[in-house]
Amino acid sequence: MDWQLIWLFLQQGVASGLVTGSIYALLAVAIVIIFKTTDAPNFAAGELFMAAAYVALYLLVFLALPFIAVVPLSLGVAFIAAALFYRIVLQKIGSSAAVTVNVVIATLGLSFVLKGAVRKTGVGDVPRSFPSIFGNDTITIGQAVLTLQDIGILALAVVSMTIFFLFFNFTRTGRAMRAVGMNPKAAVLVGINLRRTRMLIWGLSGLLSSLAALLIAPKILMTADMGSVVILGFAAAIIGGFTSLPGAVLGGLIIGIAENLVGLFISSRAISVAPFVAIMLVLVLRPQGLLGGKVAVKKV
Amino acid sequence: MLELKDISAGYGRINALSGVGLKVDAGRVVALLGANGAGKTTTLNCISRVVALTSGEIHFEGQRVDRLASEDMVARGVCQVPEGREIFARMSVRENLEIGAHLRRDTAVIRQDLDRVCEYFPRLRQRFAQEAGTLSGGEQQMLLIARALMGRPKLLLLDEPSLGLSPLLVEQIFAIIRQLNKEGLTILLVEQNARIALNVSDYAYILENGEIAFEGNSADLVRDDRVRQAYLGA
Repeated sequence: MDWQLIWLFLQQGVASGLVTGSIYALLAVAIVIIFKTTDAPNFAAGELFMAAAYVALYLLVFLALPFIAVVPLSLGVAFIAAALFYRIVLQKIGSSAAVTVNVVIATLGLSFVLKGAVRKTGVGDVPRSFPSIFGNDTITIGQAVLTLQDIGILALAVVSMTIFFLFFNFTRTGRAMRAVGMNPKAAVLVGINLRRTRMLIWGLSGLLSSLAALLIAPKILMTADMGSVVILGFAAAIIGGFTSLPGAVLGGLIIGIAENLVGLFISSRAISVAPFVAIMLVLVLRPQGLLGGKVAVKKV
Repeated sequence: MLELKDISAGYGRINALSGVGLKVDAGRVVALLGANGAGKTTTLNCISRVVALTSGEIHFEGQRVDRLASEDMVARGVCQVPEGREIFARMSVRENLEIGAHLRRDTAVIRQDLDRVCEYFPRLRQRFAQEAGTLSGGEQQMLLIARALMGRPKLLLLDEPSLGLSPLLVEQIFAIIRQLNKEGLTILLVEQNARIALNVSDYAYILENGEIAFEGNSADLVRDDRVRQAYLGA
């Protein structure tokens, strides 16, 4: 392999990696905000993502609604569904003992329900493809070639993550969410409504998953199992430190780029191994994740 | 201003409080003393509506409040300074203070209050942009009090403000508590350090095993033989 080819592959790998990585980053952020505030990973994240894609497909293809209506509708449905799941199921569980285990089981239950629902309704029984609003024209940046759709995905993901970070860091509700993640006891004492805040966080997480689904759906074949992509969101979160939002974004981009580089340089069959090698490397070299802060040492 | 009528509370089958009654009149400093595990913090958490009552009633400003949510108590002007270091460690000092005013919408007044609480604790002003987790223990205690003041309390619930602080810092903190009271703030003070608590308070209750064992004017309790033996080590 000569240097020119290596340089070309590097550019292409990074460019394509940023596109898929931005989707992983969105999913990772959706996972991390729930983990930080509910103290349990949401194992239904993948199925929420999958179901959101099918909701959009249903509205777009079966009801023939215009794109401009489909986007807010599917985001809204995902927000409400996730918030209701918290309100109806998790809040009940929260009042029992062994909370974390039960929450995890409940999210697993939700994932089966969603998958079953998509399969049973007849929409998810055959693989389908999602129409794209962007054309298939290509753009060359340096020597990397991206489709307009890729550019659209990356741009929209960056814009929505920016909006999310501004919201999270500079609004009253965002501040309350961070407070609940940092110290729920103190949050209650300054007058923050824990249940409402956590419900909003679940809703927001659903919305982010749905956004990721809308962005990536045109690029992949839709099946009821497409939620397995969220494993890469978890991988991104782990690389970033699992409690750090910038870490989650960074982790997402790293995994996206790693996948593409491995695909170009080694073999496309090695792609699915790449994220896990990346996780292992990070955990061995920096156990707390890239931006996970110091390792917590328990005082005895 | 605040009245607890025969309240009981517990965790599971363990009774933490049984039939506690106490009154806090407006403008006063009332101390709630007792050993570790006597139920002092539980009492404050009942008032803040964090711990549920099993029986009894709580009245604040003439209204029954023991069915309200915790944020309603903050909204009514009952703010707690919790024991220990319950800060928002990864937020700046400024944000920690601003979040104390979470339920308030009067942005302009909040900004003035930010200056006002920093007059009590000039050190916080110097640390404004710093992460709260990097503050020293004494500074964190100041931050907690300042955060509660940002909620514009009518009644301040103070949980062990002297805990883990050097004698000099304890003096400083209590000087400010006195000053706040002089400016009209009503205070319910929970302390293990009976000497200093009886010194600043007008009236005191002593909890033993979840029940009020003694009560009286602080000046009288200081001279009471039983209190002296059990709590003042004399």
